[in-house]
Amino acid sequence: MELVRINNNLNYKANGENTSLNFVIDSNKEVNLFVDEFESLDELIFDVSDYSILHLSLFAKKSINSLKITANIGENSKIIVHFADFSVEKHHLDAVINLNKNNASAEWHLASLSTNKDDKEINVSIYHNHSHTNGKIDNYGVCKDNSKLIFSGISHIIKGCHESSSHQNAKIVVFDNDCKAIAKPILKIDENDIEASHAAVVGKVSDDHIFYLTSRGLSKEEAKMLITLGYLKPILKGFDGNVANDINQLIEGRL
Amino acid sequence: MATLKIKDLHVEVEGKEILKGVTCNISEGETVALLGPNGHGKSTLLNVIMGHPRYKITSGSLFLDDLDITNMTTDERARAGLFLALQNPCEVPGVINSDFLRAAVNATNEEKISTYKFYKMLDGATKELKMPFDLATRSLNEGFSGGEKKRNEILQLLLLNPKIAMLDEIDSGLDVDAIQVVADVINKEEDQGMGFLVISHYARLFDLIKPTRALVMINGRIVLDGDPSLIKRIDQNGYEFIKTELGISIEKENAQMNEVSIGTCAVKEVIKN
Repeated sequence: MELVRINNNLNYKANGENTSLNFVIDSNKEVNLFVDEFESLDELIFDVSDYSILHLSLFAKKSINSLKITANIGENSKIIVHFADFSVEKHHLDAVINLNKNNASAEWHLASLSTNKDDKEINVSIYHNHSHTNGKIDNYGVCKDNSKLIFSGISHIIKGCHESSSHQNAKIVVFDNDCKAIAKPILKIDENDIEASHAAVVGKVSDDHIFYLTSRGLSKEEAKMLITLGYLKPILKGFDGNVANDINQLIEGRL
Repeated sequence: MATLKIKDLHVEVEGKEILKGVTCNISEGETVALLGPNGHGKSTLLNVIMGHPRYKITSGSLFLDDLDITNMTTDERARAGLFLALQNPCEVPGVINSDFLRAAVNATNEEKISTYKFYKMLDGATKELKMPFDLATRSLNEGFSGGEKKRNEILQLLLLNPKIAMLDEIDSGLDVDAIQVVADVINKEEDQGMGFLVISHYARLFDLIKPTRALVMINGRIVLDGDPSLIKRIDQNGYEFIKTELGISIEKENAQMNEVSIGTCAVKEVIKN
């Protein structure tokens, strides 16, 4: 395992020599980290020390085998993840975020496109191991052709972790009859004094949305495209100019 | 001058007939008030004119001048010059308002307009509606207040400049100042030749936009097509005179009450059924 300490913004390109990487963010830092070409790795670990903020951007464009992401968040610290998943073929991704200390928080944003015969399972869990911790998961997906896309994950607030909040949102828009999409956000709550919600939506583009957009002159195809892009494009705000452009081109090209 | 001609229109939803022979005309440059009790087909008529796929036309026709739009798709009708401001504009997450507006403007204009020209138009229209410009950069209607959604409908109207605009309860959710702003836009556009078909339950909006004509829809038919004094009469006395003067009995809205209501034992009632 390679250990990488970061104190400043970093664009890190995995060189393929190691199968796992451990990034450590020291105390009292706010850094942007973009990890490039991580698709061949098995494991990514992020340790965010106390009083720090990590803005993590991940963009997968090739095939991933099986990847485990773990993040450990310290006191008054935060991780904000933007994951643009445009990987192809079959993969299984497990992400676990541990909110270990007081006032630790996590935001996870994922946009995933599944086409052709892709077979993807993305499992994102947040464990609230301390009081006053906040977690938010937003998983958005588009599923086409013969592909399969599964969003799962657990938000677990353990007993005694009072005044914590956990929210999960999983939405997949389905294009074709032969694709398979499943969203199963799970809440496990062992404490009473908390705030939690989960939502799952899987379905075709809403007829009312299409009517609204077509009533302004857009063709049905244009309306459907605009609505679908609306599932994927919000992820762009987690990326810098050039990478955001690459992702944008990929979205429009693949749809 | 374009005229929307509705002729003996019969419409059903899920096998139930809602419109039972509607005939009327609306021309550019006139503002027509569409009145009637709840559940008698006013919103249905507007949605049918716009081509909502939920409604099925079983007979009758819709023409915009000589153009038969009865079987046209919704987008074709929009491009022909029709516009509907929805009663409850839906929220479309992720679709940026300005991206949508630009796509809509490009779809309804023969030539694509430049980014600069579009933003100039957008800036002008938001100022006219006293809307904060940042609403244009947010997701379409997402998290908008009721009033912001309605203003956003009128923003679309200004940018698309239709021949005939239909407004379905545009005043609901608007405060007094906002109603004035919207009324000013309607008056200005009417002067410039746009035609309006307006549903509202309140005389306040009609006082401001001064319709040229009023239609009353009862039991899925237009039973009165008269001058705007009808609005005042209905506002003051309701629809009872239709029964006494025209001999038309007003069908009750047949929304079935849920048998289980507050005060009953819900579980018991459900088991009983």
